[in-house]
Amino acid sequence: MSQFVFATAEYASGDWESAPALAENLIDSLARYTSIDVAPVGVNVKVGSNELYDYPFVWLTGHLPVRFTDDERRNIKRYVERGGFLMVDDHNHDITGVFHKTATEEIERLFGKMTRLPKDHELYRAFFVFEDGPPNTHHELNGYGDDLLHKYLDAVIVNGRIGLLYSSKDYSSEWNFHADTKRFMQQDPTKFGVNLIVYALTR
Amino acid sequence: MLSRADRPRAAGEWLLRIVVVAILGWYLVHVLWTRSHGAAETAASAELSPALARWTTTSTPAWVHVVLAHPPAGLYRDWLAALAGAGTAVEWSGPTLLPTAIAVDPRPDPARDADVDVAAPPGAMVRVLDTLGGLDSARATAAGIRVHLPKPRRTVDAAVGPVRARAASPDSLRLGRLLVVGGAGWETKFTVAALEERGWTVDAQIAVSPKGDVRQGKVDELDTARYAAVIAIDTIAARYGDRIASFVRSGGGLVLWVPVARIRALAPLAAGGAGAPIESSDEPPSDSLPRAGLALVPITPLAPDAVVLERRGDQTAVAARRIGAGRVIETGYLDTWRWRMAGGDEAPERHRAWLATLVARVAYAGRVPLPPPPTDAAPLATLVDKLGPAASPLQAGAGGDPAALARWVFGLLCGALLIEWASRRTRGVK
Repeated sequence: MSQFVFATAEYASGDWESAPALAENLIDSLARYTSIDVAPVGVNVKVGSNELYDYPFVWLTGHLPVRFTDDERRNIKRYVERGGFLMVDDHNHDITGVFHKTATEEIERLFGKMTRLPKDHELYRAFFVFEDGPPNTHHELNGYGDDLLHKYLDAVIVNGRIGLLYSSKDYSSEWNFHADTKRFMQQDPTKFGVNLIVYALTR
Repeated sequence: MLSRADRPRAAGEWLLRIVVVAILGWYLVHVLWTRSHGAAETAASAELSPALARWTTTSTPAWVHVVLAHPPAGLYRDWLAALAGAGTAVEWSGPTLLPTAIAVDPRPDPARDADVDVAAPPGAMVRVLDTLGGLDSARATAAGIRVHLPKPRRTVDAAVGPVRARAASPDSLRLGRLLVVGGAGWETKFTVAALEERGWTVDAQIAVSPKGDVRQGKVDELDTARYAAVIAIDTIAARYGDRIASFVRSGGGLVLWVPVARIRALAPLAAGGAGAPIESSDEPPSDSLPRAGLALVPITPLAPDAVVLERRGDQTAVAARRIGAGRVIETGYLDTWRWRMAGGDEAPERHRAWLATLVARVAYAGRVPLPPPPTDAAPLATLVDKLGPAASPLQAGAGGDPAALARWVFGLLCGALLIEWASRRTRGVK
């Protein structure tokens, strides 16, 4: 059976490659905490290409305005409706910022208004337990970006499953640290990333 | 004194007189017998209803013959049988009627699909239809035809020429849940998703780490009261080996992916072993041949009692066998999720349907009898059962019409008397 391969979405506009260390940190956590057969190296996958369908979990982030091409829109819609899991994270942590405004506009254009994910959603218990919903990031706590603590994540639900998850919490900054740094951390901040992947693989 | 030449003619005249008296005698006896026992009558399909009413009320024929253009409805068939039971000899013929029978078998599938089997003479064109219209048609083989119908109506008909057989599913199925056992991976995820979308209630035990599994639903004891089938996707199923084996022997179903066949406890259940893997194609799965490019581990060698259900080229891709009271189906395809994700427009639906078919072939389902609607599953067989086999059409026409018989008798008498009179007059005797 095929391995889990962490894929980063490469889209035509914006800075899709803004969190280059995130993939290796999540891969490390997945290998550390689970027995999931995970590829040691992630891939970048063009959203407008058919390769997208080879990776049912894809991470999409950036700071700059997002304008999908027609191929990208068609692929994202089809990908999500077929059971793929697209994680979209606002690297600005700013709901007044350009990424948030343009990305949510693109998402709602394709799927309509997103659903607010309740704090007791199974995503928060898929592997580690997060009683208060999505864990806060240092960027939220330190007042960067919009200076807000975002208590919820938004989602596109397809057949009862999350097909697209949108975060304003800037996990892309939180998990984009140098790999060696993790051993000096009191708490591993990437545990929620494990939940995202385990959820995508099991639900 | 008769001359030597007149003697044979005189003897012939006596013979003719005897024939006339014999015919008159026979006809008298026939008329008297008919008056006491009733007449012989015939009727065609179109006039069967009034004929039956007449035969039952105003006339009491000794013998009736029905020429059928199509099998009579159950009411008339029973009526004819009752007539036969009351003492009238009932015969029928129908040279254009072909023996036809139909059976509807519900599939263990929440989509309420059904398999329809029709028996008909080889080469006959069979039309399958319901109250709304035609559903399918095919030419019968020696084994009849089998049609898969999605969500059929309560009754389904098979029409072969003028014969129309009707059947209904005798049972409603009580479906248990499915248990999917596998590691955290795309094949497990998309299998669970597809079966849930199909309507199954799916429990899942998915291995995520040495410390724990992800459970979906209430994973219960394995028995046929709770579960219809187990779907074993990878070697994680080894944990349940003995329980799965016991479940299958007691009547449960098992769908296993070929790597599971390597598990010691489950290998005796598998339809075959695992051959050399064939890598998947780089091309996305097409709608026309969706499984042609999937990774495949051929099922080989096959168990002696295994039945091959699907081949890819000369390789066995899907095979099945019976184990005790249960059934096992083994698929050699790997990463079928790629079909759903990367296939054509119909890929998600067809992937779902394919998985559902695998499950339906093995799933245990409790049967709840349904009140039967009016059906006629084998009209010709029922007719033969009630009235006996068909008479030949030649026999059918003989002696049926009393007026025709009287005309024949009158003609014979006139002919014989005329010849006798002419013979006498030509030799000068009054």
